[in-house]
Amino acid sequence: MSAVVASSLTQRFGSDLALDAVDLAVDSGEHLAVLGENGAGKTTLLRILATATRPTSGSLEIFGLNALVERRLLRARIGFVAHASGLYPALSATENLEFFRTLHGVDRGRVPEVLDLVGLAEVAHRPAGKLSRGAQQRLAIGRAVLHDPRLLVLDEPDASLDSGGADLLGRVMRGRTAIIATHDHALANRLCQRTLELRRGRVVGVPTRLRVVH
Amino acid sequence: MRSVAVALAVARKDLASEWRTRELVPALAQFVVLALVIANFGFEVDSRTSAAIAPGVLWMTLVFAGLVAFGRAFAAEREQASLEAMLLTPASPAAIFAGKALAAALMLALCEAVLLPALGLFFGVSLTLEVVTAVLLATVGMAVLGCLFAAMVARIRARELLLPLLTLPLWIPFIVVGGQAVQVAMGAGGGSRAGSATGLLLDLDILFVVLTSLTARFVLED
Repeated sequence: MSAVVASSLTQRFGSDLALDAVDLAVDSGEHLAVLGENGAGKTTLLRILATATRPTSGSLEIFGLNALVERRLLRARIGFVAHASGLYPALSATENLEFFRTLHGVDRGRVPEVLDLVGLAEVAHRPAGKLSRGAQQRLAIGRAVLHDPRLLVLDEPDASLDSGGADLLGRVMRGRTAIIATHDHALANRLCQRTLELRRGRVVGVPTRLRVVH
Repeated sequence: MRSVAVALAVARKDLASEWRTRELVPALAQFVVLALVIANFGFEVDSRTSAAIAPGVLWMTLVFAGLVAFGRAFAAEREQASLEAMLLTPASPAAIFAGKALAAALMLALCEAVLLPALGLFFGVSLTLEVVTAVLLATVGMAVLGCLFAAMVARIRARELLLPLLTLPLWIPFIVVGGQAVQVAMGAGGGSRAGSATGLLLDLDILFVVLTSLTARFVLED
């Protein structure tokens, strides 16, 4: 069963065509890597899939719901890691997660669980602004899985992660449908079953099925 | 109930961030004192004129302090990309907006705690309960309107210019009615109008709190 079905997704910014009629189908539990050079449209596509942006035209269904209409309902089922971490630098790692826990309406006990999962339990009380870039990225990933989403949308989550980053991504993606934009083909090979390549807003060829290495 | 919890969490988060960074309130407090010092030198204040001049100085100072306070409420969120992270939760945008407005209003109220005694000191006017009530009631309405427009212009480069242009016309009722209430309370006008001006401020608050709650969703979401 398809978790995500996108049809003719098009995004224009003024006269610039960022996405040109992109079709996409991702099965439930499947991991898809979106590849492409800078400016290929990866971020635009992922932002639409995460319901952060509305496309200019096209349709998008996520878990059988119209994602352009049922956005708030779907946001409880989608976790998004964007380019910018979106953390509050003056608040500690715990306080950041506590805050988003309240917004998601999930149990208090989930915060220490997530801090353990992303390996930040030891620096949980340090202000997010004083954490290393990699630790901030781990915290952003933790925030994305705080509400146990069924779909994870990750925009270059490996950009600041250390050598253990791929393992962390593997852990958080396990059991979920995941769409990950990356420049790292080896990471895509390791984590995903399929890749989709974008060039100038268009899908190049057909999505490639990869050998999965666990 | 969940909306109340969300609004309180947003307000608590903003106040905790401000408490730790001390970016806004100390600067605003210094600004209001400086504005009063300048006004004190700029006007010929004596015991006959102070009650007529002080209300005008109070509202001018409050308006400019409010523009800074409410402008920062959403600009900081946009700069650190955290507004989007909040909006990508199932929390109601109206509740998020209410929390932001509550925190901004409380920060301005903190500045008023500096402004009002300083006004009494520089202009020799008495600070009655009516003055404090009028200022606090006006702060509520000014906060919801200021935050609504601050959210609207936060993604625009010329936001510092646009925010006063959009906000000031809608703040005029608060300045007129609040000014009237304060003038009466400071002994510069007819005594019977103070109560009706305070009542009108309350009506304006209710009107704009309801209106901004209804429009917040459309402003915050793209």
